Amino acid sequence: MRRVAIVGAGMTPFKEHFDLGIKDLVPMAVSEMAGSVDKGLDRADIQAAWFGELTTTDGFPAGILADSCDLMDIPVTRVENACATGNDAVRNATYAVASGAFDVVLVVGADKVRESSSRSTFWEWAKLTRDVAWDYPVGLVAPANFALHAARYLHESPATREHMAMVAVKNHKHAVPNPKAQLRYEITVEQVLSAPMVVAPFGLLDCTPQSDGAAALLVVSEDVVEQYTDHPVWVRGVGLGLDRVMHQHKADMTSFPATVKAARAAYAMAGIGPQDIDLAEVHDCFSAVELISYEDLGFTDRFGAAAYVASGATTVGGARPVNASGGLKAKGHPPGATGVAQCVELFEQLRGHASNQVDGATTALAHNIGGPTAVSAVTVLSSEKG
Amino acid sequence: MSTLRGVGTYLPVWENAGRRVVGRDEDALTLAVAAGRALMDGLRSGSVTGDDGDDVRQVVLVSRDLPLAEGGNSAALLAGLGLADTTPVVEQVGGAPAVLDAVVSAASGTLVLAADLEPAGAGAVLIGAEDADGAEGSVSLRVLGRVTGSLPITSRGRDGERWDYDDSRLLFERGTKKALSALALETPPTLVAGLSAKPAGQVSGGRAPSLPTLGGSSTVFALAAATAGDVLVATEQGSAVAATILGSPRVHRDEPSPRPLARTRSTPGPDIGISLPAYERAFAAKVRWEAGSCDACGQLAMPPRRRCTACGSEEGWSLSPLPRSGEVYTKVDIHVPVPGRETPYSLAIVQLDDTDVRTLVTVTGVPAGAVDIGDRGRLVLRLVDVRSGVPDYGHALLPDLTDQPQGESA
Repeated sequence: MRRVAIVGAGMTPFKEHFDLGIKDLVPMAVSEMAGSVDKGLDRADIQAAWFGELTTTDGFPAGILADSCDLMDIPVTRVENACATGNDAVRNATYAVASGAFDVVLVVGADKVRESSSRSTFWEWAKLTRDVAWDYPVGLVAPANFALHAARYLHESPATREHMAMVAVKNHKHAVPNPKAQLRYEITVEQVLSAPMVVAPFGLLDCTPQSDGAAALLVVSEDVVEQYTDHPVWVRGVGLGLDRVMHQHKADMTSFPATVKAARAAYAMAGIGPQDIDLAEVHDCFSAVELISYEDLGFTDRFGAAAYVASGATTVGGARPVNASGGLKAKGHPPGATGVAQCVELFEQLRGHASNQVDGATTALAHNIGGPTAVSAVTVLSSEKG
Repeated sequence: MSTLRGVGTYLPVWENAGRRVVGRDEDALTLAVAAGRALMDGLRSGSVTGDDGDDVRQVVLVSRDLPLAEGGNSAALLAGLGLADTTPVVEQVGGAPAVLDAVVSAASGTLVLAADLEPAGAGAVLIGAEDADGAEGSVSLRVLGRVTGSLPITSRGRDGERWDYDDSRLLFERGTKKALSALALETPPTLVAGLSAKPAGQVSGGRAPSLPTLGGSSTVFALAAATAGDVLVATEQGSAVAATILGSPRVHRDEPSPRPLARTRSTPGPDIGISLPAYERAFAAKVRWEAGSCDACGQLAMPPRRRCTACGSEEGWSLSPLPRSGEVYTKVDIHVPVPGRETPYSLAIVQLDDTDVRTLVTVTGVPAGAVDIGDRGRLVLRLVDVRSGVPDYGHALLPDLTDQPQGESA
């Protein structure tokens, strides 16, 4: 397979975009991406597109991308893989370019969570990912999916709610310099612990906000990369992993096997291991999910996450910063856009001009988990072609 | 003359203003199933004579609070009781006299169930063979009199709206006393069903014990309190039935100590809708509490699934009863307002005893937050939700908590 690189990246701010529809956000992200291409982009070069969108607010997703961006003469495929949608869209585009089928393709991720009332969103979104006879009617709302894991994780591991709070505090701090982030203010461990309970053990400040937004990447083959930039970010590895859909069928709820499988595939493709990752964007929809993911991604030993986050290793300035952008927790989480936006952040980091720059990083990892907890996608990016 | 093989009672755990009340996940059907299971489980465990309740030949459910007037309660009733879906069911609207009439007139093998919502409680009576009269433990009833009069102090029509004339003196003088007079009993009753403690005391010379309910189930609570020679009057507004009780029934009670009704808050929201095909496919496993057992290798799957996780067979599966006890593997407490729901509530994943089956269920009978990882409990039929007008029944975890649980306050 050919080597594949990202040569342009852009995104809208993540926030409650009540004033903008999906047909505004998608072209905004694509245009910002186009503006980031060092040597310029002629849109006529784009040969195909993959559009990650979890739900749709104004109709047929692939058509919305083509129409709103005036890309009427290329094939567009919608990717939907729960909260792993974004990195799975990257994965599909990567294979299309690596195979030789295309040289220049577009990846867009977007979602508009705040297009329906917060009251109806609850059930509309829940129905996407539940067994309608068995799990939907018992009231398994979104935070409860992950809280079932977190409760067991706290029971078995040395981690406490304080360690979960450290994740939230860190990611809020990281978001402050990020102009695209939704929650740009610092919080304290005490505030996290005393916040109203949402779904125990998650308080309000352990949870991601509801967000709208879009993000876009230009993915090209090694054969044409020099037409666009002298500083590409290489897609070194992609991976996707699955797990049993229903929580009652997951044997060990202190781990996400989907993440373990996705990471194993991405590391193998990249020919590297977790020790080679300098920084990462990790799916932190709820604080404890970042802790569990440290272990599943191989950043630390099983049940070592509490000590690992407490050591400061994952704070910017530490050995392996995680979620320098603010993460889902503070940057925001429009699901289809989330994974693509993680790659936007890492593109900027690996080219040395991120808003919360991590110095000296060459290899980075992006991670999504969703479904709920039944699908994970991992992307390994590097400034080195390898 | 009918005989009683046994009597079962059930009271919900919740209490409000001195009366038992249903939880949000209970209705007359789940109450009746709980009483029926108390009786049948009791008969199975308490007998060495093969008195296992498996010979229930028909079911009569009497209530003025039937969940559905149309759409049917019978299938869920049979499934919840673990009875074959070939068993005839009579769904009858009625109060205390109707239940006594049902008991005295029922054929052998009839399970008579009665359930009330306000105050809440339920009872079950299994009718034995007439020739069992005199057999060990058998109890018979002989009717002394019956009168049916009209004094609709309280009335409820097809719209479900309750009208109350609100005149307890009129009810007592021209309803209760007139009906009792018409019965022309030789001695005052010693058990009175259908009346609250004060009038029951007045008509029984202070002998009738206080009963926890006022509707049809109060007749069963009266039978549960009976000893040989008691005279039972079951009354409702202007009607009454009297019977004398020969023997002392075997009673199996599921009557937990009361707890104050957990405080919850409700959030208005959209009806979450139901897929009736999905409901219909899941019904037997959910309501009977049975897993799919692989026909090739016996591996259990809950819910049942086409392809066996152990051997890969897709040749078919059969329903197999699941254990009704287990241990909490993990749990959550939902505090955030959920549209269309009462919050807070708890969900648990329960490892069922002696199987590798885990199940995700709601937690019942304790305040939210009272159950923790490692706690044990049993699985009981509850109303999971009412969706698009359809009661959606399933099983919930009732924790075995010995102490008054320290739940989180609402």
